[in-house]
Amino acid sequence: MITIKQQQKDFYITGYSVHLRPVVYSDLEQLREWRNSAFVSKQMLDSQYISAEQQAAWFMKVSRDDSQYHWIVEYQGHCIGSTNIKARHVGERVHTAKELEPGLYIGDPDYQGNILAFAPTLAMYDFCFNELQTQSFHAVVKATNQAAIKYNQQLGYEIVSQQKLLELSLQKEAYERQTVMLKRLLSRTRQS
Amino acid sequence: MNNQQKLVDAFCEALGVAPDMVTDDLTYNTIKEWDSTAHMILIAELENTFDVMLDTDDIIDMSSVGKAKSILSKYDIGF
Repeated sequence: MITIKQQQKDFYITGYSVHLRPVVYSDLEQLREWRNSAFVSKQMLDSQYISAEQQAAWFMKVSRDDSQYHWIVEYQGHCIGSTNIKARHVGERVHTAKELEPGLYIGDPDYQGNILAFAPTLAMYDFCFNELQTQSFHAVVKATNQAAIKYNQQLGYEIVSQQKLLELSLQKEAYERQTVMLKRLLSRTRQS
Repeated sequence: MNNQQKLVDAFCEALGVAPDMVTDDLTYNTIKEWDSTAHMILIAELENTFDVMLDTDDIIDMSSVGKAKSILSKYDIGF
């Protein structure tokens, strides 16, 4: 169960113990630090070092680009990572595209490899499948990245192509079926 | 059976590991047996064993055997 707040073209999503808010300029240095860290960069298809100038240019580009959307992930009031969606096909807008490509990294070492890493994805996918009427997600990961492959399969993804890069696809029905237990565990409220 | 033994049994059952592996510093995601799927099974096993219902922050926080003990202590389970 998520709650969505819209301000102009921005979406704020809360659910599964996390809050997703749009990336703003003051987030860039934290994002760059995480993105350049060994833990995060080794998972990326492009693992080159990112300079402050490149990061600023990236932000200027994505701020005006309606084919992608980037959020900061907050847990208990602290930024722990970033998640994003991109329209899969050139020329499509993220709000109307039938197929999206997701991205996620957890930058805070306290939560890397933690079950909490599923929370931003659950919130974002619920938003996309139920609000944007997204039909499917398409993920591309390195064939050597077993953690990402397992993570995606846990969400209901199925492998559709397997070479140096692995392509996976997720339909709404599989996602709903596969994530029942995860959603239950990540949406409990404090007892006391 | 004391609570320490119950805890070890719950970990063995959920993760499929031998009792001697269940030490306080055994940590989530550092062995292949304790992945996210096993973690969900572990939560259910601990809740059934100790008759508690953990909240989400505790489930997220349960990153090791030692941490599991300190979290269960909040629910009046002594070790």
